[in-house]
Amino acid sequence: MLVSIQNIREIPKKVASTNRQYLAVGIFAMLMLTIPLGAGVYPNTVMVEVGFYSIVTMGLILVMGFAGQISLGHAALFGCGAYVSGILTTQYHFSPWLALFLAAVFTGGVAAIVGRAMFRMHGLILAGVTLALNLVFFHLISSLSDLTGGAMGMMNIPPLSLGGFTSQNLLFNYYLLWIIAILLLMFSLNLANSRVGRALRSLNAYAGGSEDAAQVLGVNIMKYKVWVFVLSAVYASIAGSIYAHYTRIIEPGTFMLQFSALVALMAIIGGRSSPWGAFLGAGLIVGIRQLLQEFIPALVGGPSGSYELIAYGIILVVALLFLPQGLFPIVQKAMPKKKAIMS
Amino acid sequence: MDFSVALQIFLSGLNLGCIYAALGLGFFVIYSVTRVLNLAQGEFVMLGGMLTVSFYTMGIPLFSSILLSVVITALAGAGLYRFIIYPARKSSGMTKVFLTLGCAFIIEGIALRVWGWEFRSLPAFFNTSSIHLWEATIFGQTPWVIGITLLMVIGLFFFFGHTIQGKAMRACADEPLGARMMGISIERMALFSFVLAAGLGAIVGALITPLTMTSYSMGLPLTAKGVLAAFVGGITRVEGVILGGLVYGMIEAITAGVIPGGYHSVIALAILVSVLLYRRRGILLTAGKG
Repeated sequence: MLVSIQNIREIPKKVASTNRQYLAVGIFAMLMLTIPLGAGVYPNTVMVEVGFYSIVTMGLILVMGFAGQISLGHAALFGCGAYVSGILTTQYHFSPWLALFLAAVFTGGVAAIVGRAMFRMHGLILAGVTLALNLVFFHLISSLSDLTGGAMGMMNIPPLSLGGFTSQNLLFNYYLLWIIAILLLMFSLNLANSRVGRALRSLNAYAGGSEDAAQVLGVNIMKYKVWVFVLSAVYASIAGSIYAHYTRIIEPGTFMLQFSALVALMAIIGGRSSPWGAFLGAGLIVGIRQLLQEFIPALVGGPSGSYELIAYGIILVVALLFLPQGLFPIVQKAMPKKKAIMS
Repeated sequence: MDFSVALQIFLSGLNLGCIYAALGLGFFVIYSVTRVLNLAQGEFVMLGGMLTVSFYTMGIPLFSSILLSVVITALAGAGLYRFIIYPARKSSGMTKVFLTLGCAFIIEGIALRVWGWEFRSLPAFFNTSSIHLWEATIFGQTPWVIGITLLMVIGLFFFFGHTIQGKAMRACADEPLGARMMGISIERMALFSFVLAAGLGAIVGALITPLTMTSYSMGLPLTAKGVLAAFVGGITRVEGVILGGLVYGMIEAITAGVIPGGYHSVIALAILVSVLLYRRRGILLTAGKG
């Protein structure tokens, strides 16, 4: 215990220098916001997909990488955003923007209630419970057919619109999604650097913390875990709402366990220690999927779905065995050092 | 509620309960020896079902097909331990959970490649699709489900409670250092637990295929249900897993009988999660770390 307390005292106040981070975010934002102008429809569609995954994964990284809690149920939070948005706009004719906001509030509220109960447990049971909760969500939306359309799903969800553009417009949707993703990235990075971020890291056994020791030091561990889970739910819900208004059709199968597992995989491969990992993980996985869809039919024939699953599995296993911290630390090392920028 | 309805609900609850209990046993076997939560367990069940269907349609007699599929699935279990878990045996529980998840992806992908996305089924082991019992009707498969689950339970109970090998396996998780000092090879015991769990999973897969049909994507949902049943009862004890499975099955059957309209899965899962929240270490309040 004493050792753990000592370890917690040694957790750095900040993860990285603020200015360097802002610079990195600035460069990233410029890059992401200029790319679509030159790229065609296909790359932009792929990047939109990366955007959705990135936001959900970023939320998961807050729970898994910052606070060190397992969640295998993020598809339910994503789906909750999508379905609340869909129900409010199609059944009650709310404005899509208001629906997006209300969905985030609702999902956050649900996460607060569920989180308070769920985080009384820790360790591996959480993996089982979150899987089960995801299944609860799936069966719930499948059986509430009056409200959700049941297994057939919901159709004709109105798009988000702003100043004459709607989210049926690919570029509009791209910018909407990526601006939100970058704002959430900024928020997450600041959170990591703040007092709250340090408290969260003190819970995380994988970042040198310990829940018991943190509690001894006066960190209200339940409060922080629930808060970070709510925040993560809000991220997932925003992505879910935009997804619902973008595709305009949602069905329960999308929000099944496979999606949760995929998001967890992205978080691990990208690097759980930083929100940047979300973009690396989502980009890599979606990129590999696109490559396989491009080349498998030509090389082997037949659909590529099975090879995608095998590739995800192999990547996850290899990453955990040889690169347990994910890609982010490697990218971080490859970045120019502080002095190099100054000179 | 008259007698025949109650009997009907009880029998279908028993049927479901035995399925969930049998699913949970695989998690128990691996967890009680290695403290690994194996998210690929559902994939072993799927693999068992799929392989049995394939061998059976090739013209091999049913019980030989089951035997073959159990052997192949057990080999897959050995592979999972030797090539994926063993190299990472010193890492954290979270890492191991995600390693098994990676294995689940791989098995699912291979199954999709080999069998496609179609659902497959088997005839019931007796050649009757339903049996009339007093005033209730049960699936022809139900006696097999109950009987084989009972056999597995008795076998595991005897093995882990009353044989040297079984006690040695439990010691690996309870007191690893002590076990090693007594000359027990923890790695070999862990390997054996994965083989055993995969084999049991394959039997369950063959057993439930006539009832529920099998497809490549049913692994993860089965995993979720099995884990829940195991945790609710208490994953470190056979009795706990059986109790958890039976409670789960009974609740689902009762809600399906009382509340119309397909809400039974939601309600049963929700009740089970609530029970787990209330009794964090399982209904039996098992000792040791939750």
